[in-house]
Amino acid sequence: MGNAYLIFNIFIVVAALAIIAMLFLANYRSHEPLPQEVVTSRGYTLRRYWFWLVLVVAVVTFAITIPYFPYHAAGASASAKHFSVVAQQYSFTVPAVVPVGVPVIFDVTSRDVNHGFGLYGPDGAIVGQVQAMPDYTNHLLMTFTMAGHYTIRCLEYCGIAHAAMQAGFDVR
Amino acid sequence: MQSRAGARVMWIYLGTGIAIFALMTLAGILLRAAQAGWIPVDPGTFYSILSLHGVGMIVAMAIAGLGTLWYLVRREMDLDERIAYLAYGFFIAGVVSAIISVVPGRYGSLWTMLYPLPFVGTYWPSWATGAWLIGNALVMLGFMLWCAQILGALLEKYGGVRGMLAIDYVFAKRAFTEAGRKPPPPAMFAAAITAFDGFITGTVGLVIGTALLVHLIDPSVAIDPLWAKNLTYLFGHSIANLTMYMAVAGVYVGLPMCTKRAYHTSPQLAVAWWATLLFVIIAYFHHLYMDFAQMQWMQFVGEIASYLAAIPVVVVTVYGGVMLVHRSGMRWSLGSMFLYGGMIGWVVGGIGAVLDATIPANIDLHNTLWVPAHFHTYLLEGVLLFTLGWAFVNLEQRADTVSSLMLRWLVGLGMFGGGALFVFSFYIAGAAGVPRRYAVEPAPGPLWASVATVGAIVFFIGFAICVFEGVRLASLPKSDVTA
Repeated sequence: MGNAYLIFNIFIVVAALAIIAMLFLANYRSHEPLPQEVVTSRGYTLRRYWFWLVLVVAVVTFAITIPYFPYHAAGASASAKHFSVVAQQYSFTVPAVVPVGVPVIFDVTSRDVNHGFGLYGPDGAIVGQVQAMPDYTNHLLMTFTMAGHYTIRCLEYCGIAHAAMQAGFDVR
Repeated sequence: MQSRAGARVMWIYLGTGIAIFALMTLAGILLRAAQAGWIPVDPGTFYSILSLHGVGMIVAMAIAGLGTLWYLVRREMDLDERIAYLAYGFFIAGVVSAIISVVPGRYGSLWTMLYPLPFVGTYWPSWATGAWLIGNALVMLGFMLWCAQILGALLEKYGGVRGMLAIDYVFAKRAFTEAGRKPPPPAMFAAAITAFDGFITGTVGLVIGTALLVHLIDPSVAIDPLWAKNLTYLFGHSIANLTMYMAVAGVYVGLPMCTKRAYHTSPQLAVAWWATLLFVIIAYFHHLYMDFAQMQWMQFVGEIASYLAAIPVVVVTVYGGVMLVHRSGMRWSLGSMFLYGGMIGWVVGGIGAVLDATIPANIDLHNTLWVPAHFHTYLLEGVLLFTLGWAFVNLEQRADTVSSLMLRWLVGLGMFGGGALFVFSFYIAGAAGVPRRYAVEPAPGPLWASVATVGAIVFFIGFAICVFEGVRLASLPKSDVTA
């Protein structure tokens, strides 16, 4: 269990801070009203700083996350071993065994409708995913650091047995 | 420009939207109870109800928001209510067509109708797909009719695009004000952007809908799946997002009524709406992060656009709303509670959305229950509260009264407490990797679905009390103060 719970914790903390701040500002000395001009005068001054803070956080976060984008990976690993993955209602054709500790590329496509190739690690957490689309092949680069059985679940609604569309392979 | 006819249009739209919302909430509770294992629902029925639930909720909130906006525009300029009723007729015809598609037809390809799913391995007849597509097209035609009327009226009143978007006001404020001119009030920006982006969204919806209909009639006509996916999400994401910007007009007018303060147009507000006009259309790129075949520049733009879309919200509209309430001596009523609570829900849902729009995080969250988590927060604790807040502010002012403290607590506990429990279970299950749109979920999905069902039932009880209170307030005689 890794990234997703970290994101969840960030969400809880930031959301709680926002709720507390907004409730505080609505109720703080609410029985001692001030003229609107006084509040807006202070508020507009603070807003300049608030604007720059939000903008800088947005741009810096964007810059920090770029190296972790999954798109450039397939082309950068020419020596990686390729494994073909074909999805169709309601099964996956996948390799039985995938090596641990070396870069591998899954070439993912679909024979019929859109599917999602969702990779769940031995601990049940999502470790990677990519869409399986008809007429297109998406290349997903992975380096498995943990040996064990990985489960694949369909992560794009594909019809009546979508929830039962599963497969798996061993990493060793 | 006030008239009883204008108010009648608004209340018909609002009443219809809230009624559809109530029915769709019951459908949603049934779905979560089925995932919890409380009620046996076969997968085919599950996906048919899910299709109706998804489209129904967006249409419900859109109808309510469009009614509010129409009324607010009508306060500023002349509008022919016959066009509003014609658009309403299209909406109702579209909803009926969608119901026919799902109830006897058992259509189950969800709102996304992601090509080629509606035609491959289906468990419903092809006419049901046709009825679904025609239903969506009818709703879009009604929406575009509304957009055309509002856009035409705004352009005429404010002298073209420059006036409607306050371009001269922003770039030459002194000359603008010295000439005795005034920029449009804030709610008119919400109307303008809804109409402008709505026209684009509606056109895109009709294009992809027509392409799918052509394929239905002649299966030899192939469609590019990536092209279809782009158009589907541009259409779907934008219209869902626009429901918030429709409803926010009620905040611009309703909160000043509660606080006895004014929400003025400022250059910052105008620029914020220009940004919103752009971001509503391009933010959909984040729906295709896991489509690596998509052009890479769109992925980069998707992330930064999703971040920047938050700035007009947290720096201008919500910030302005908080300034309006802060130390205003505002009296808490159902109306003010909903409007202010809606801003909190908007921010919280937005935080969930921005995290999901971060590409490395999206690898862990894409198409998990995190996605419905953020948009249920956004819709239930944002759009719906703005809609109800606007309705209650008007009802309270009309009767010159507010609901009792006990009733406010009951509604608050139900709608905020139950709603929080409901959406929290989505977030935590999403973080655990439980996929969305599973009729039968892997663990720990059923556990959190049980918690969600309890939360949704508590929410619905609060919502029902609120509706009965609204009917009671509406039945009170009009106060002498406001008469």
